[in-house]
Amino acid sequence: MNRLLLFAPMGLLIAGFALSVLGLLWSSLIHGGAALYADLLTDPIILRVLWRTAWIAVVTTGLCAVLGYPLALFLARSPRRNLWLILVISPWLVSIVVRTFGWMVLLGNRGVINTSLRGWGIIDSPIRILFTPTAVIIGLVHVFIPFMVIAILSSLLQQDRRLEEAGRILGGTRWQTFRRVTLPLSMPGVTGGCSLVLLMAAGAIVTPLLLGGLRDRMLGTQIYSEIFQVYNFDRATAMAVLLLVLALLLVAPLRLLEARLRHRLEAG
Amino acid sequence: MRTGLSVRTIAALLLILLPAPLVIVIGSSFSPLAVLGFPPPGFSWRWYLEFLRTPEWLWAFGVSAGIALASAVLTTLVALGAALALQGAPARWRGWAETAILAPLLFPHAALGIGLLGWLILAGLNGTATGILAAHLILCVPFAYRPIAVSLAQIDTSLAEAATILGADPRQAFRRVTLPLLRPGIAAAMLFSFIISFDEVTVTMFLVGPETTTLPVSIYARLNDSADPVVAAISSILILLTAGLVLLMDWLVGLRIFIDVEEEGRHPAA
Repeated sequence: MNRLLLFAPMGLLIAGFALSVLGLLWSSLIHGGAALYADLLTDPIILRVLWRTAWIAVVTTGLCAVLGYPLALFLARSPRRNLWLILVISPWLVSIVVRTFGWMVLLGNRGVINTSLRGWGIIDSPIRILFTPTAVIIGLVHVFIPFMVIAILSSLLQQDRRLEEAGRILGGTRWQTFRRVTLPLSMPGVTGGCSLVLLMAAGAIVTPLLLGGLRDRMLGTQIYSEIFQVYNFDRATAMAVLLLVLALLLVAPLRLLEARLRHRLEAG
Repeated sequence: MRTGLSVRTIAALLLILLPAPLVIVIGSSFSPLAVLGFPPPGFSWRWYLEFLRTPEWLWAFGVSAGIALASAVLTTLVALGAALALQGAPARWRGWAETAILAPLLFPHAALGIGLLGWLILAGLNGTATGILAAHLILCVPFAYRPIAVSLAQIDTSLAEAATILGADPRQAFRRVTLPLLRPGIAAAMLFSFIISFDEVTVTMFLVGPETTTLPVSIYARLNDSADPVVAAISSILILLTAGLVLLMDWLVGLRIFIDVEEEGRHPAA
């Protein structure tokens, strides 16, 4: 009884979250129904946005994993981990809008990168990075990579270091030990981090709106403009449901991989 | 085992690139001219004064700070209650409850924004601070729950038992033993929740109204028109505030709380 009372406020928040998810599904069925979805799924613009959202999310996640893993490994082994962690965690907690703004200053035609390259005589005319998918991906990787680093770092730190030593003593090279011992044991962190980044990248709004061109819309930005420029709430709701479905489809293979890995680890 | 050269190179590159955009923003905020650039052509506090002189910016700052403060206190209380309720509960229940608590973290924010907006419109709360606060409570509570649950798991339960044996009633045992031991977790939860709420933009941008808007959303709206040094000045204030809170958290609790390793009873600042 006491426990229930203690948990009640949290229950209220969970209910609030569940209701907003259910409300979303419900109102998209009531107000638009099948016709609205059929309309959306035959719209070539929406299809292109869906495809773009999917590939940008996947590329972002891949880059976060490939770049984030070495950083996590470095942090796990570094004696001055705490100092470096400050450099990872402070940018992570700064508002997305501010970090994206930093990239606008860096990547613009008269931005830091173009000015320096021209100053050094490497290029004559500015290269266009801002308002391209490349800029969106750079921004998203910057925004989400700390999540990946923290997920991987946490699973690296849970490993028993003696397993690695055993691998080395038994004659494995450094690379073999990494591939056969360290990497498989840290895979839960990698798949966990990847799911998180995929979901967040698929639903991103601010970064693609500010760094992407008008033609590089993602689903999140499309939803936002549907509400605040077109004032079509029903269509936006249906798109939000599409976003959910897309996110689930993107994460599903990772979940399968995770289950299989766990099975294999437990089987020894 | 030392890490290889390629690992260290990538790590070093990222450790430079992660803070780089923020350093650039701070640098360009001191520009004496109305054009944004780095390095700035001179040094002046002009844009900081402009921020202090513009009521709209100050109001947005106040709204953000108020909502963040309220959501830090409330989510910490809610998370503390939930963590205590789940302590010693059957593993299966606990698992379910924790999945439900952390679910908002894994939900695409664009979709969550629309879902919440729908309810807030029904309740007549869209565009109000109350509505934004309600949304922030849902968004921030996972961040408050984690550190409290981690530090609760690290407490030796026999300490509270000892207090009970020595004649303390359960309430006294909680107040005099468990609560003081939980202090680092509670501090981390409050700071973490405050920062997340203060900086949130993706969901909040659906919920603001013409009268009530938060600082990050105003920055976004301004950036959509033009990127000028006043935005850089405000952004710099946000950056320094966040960095200050992170350092405070490092000093009070240790950053290890972020890498939550629940089963390890190691010293949290190690």
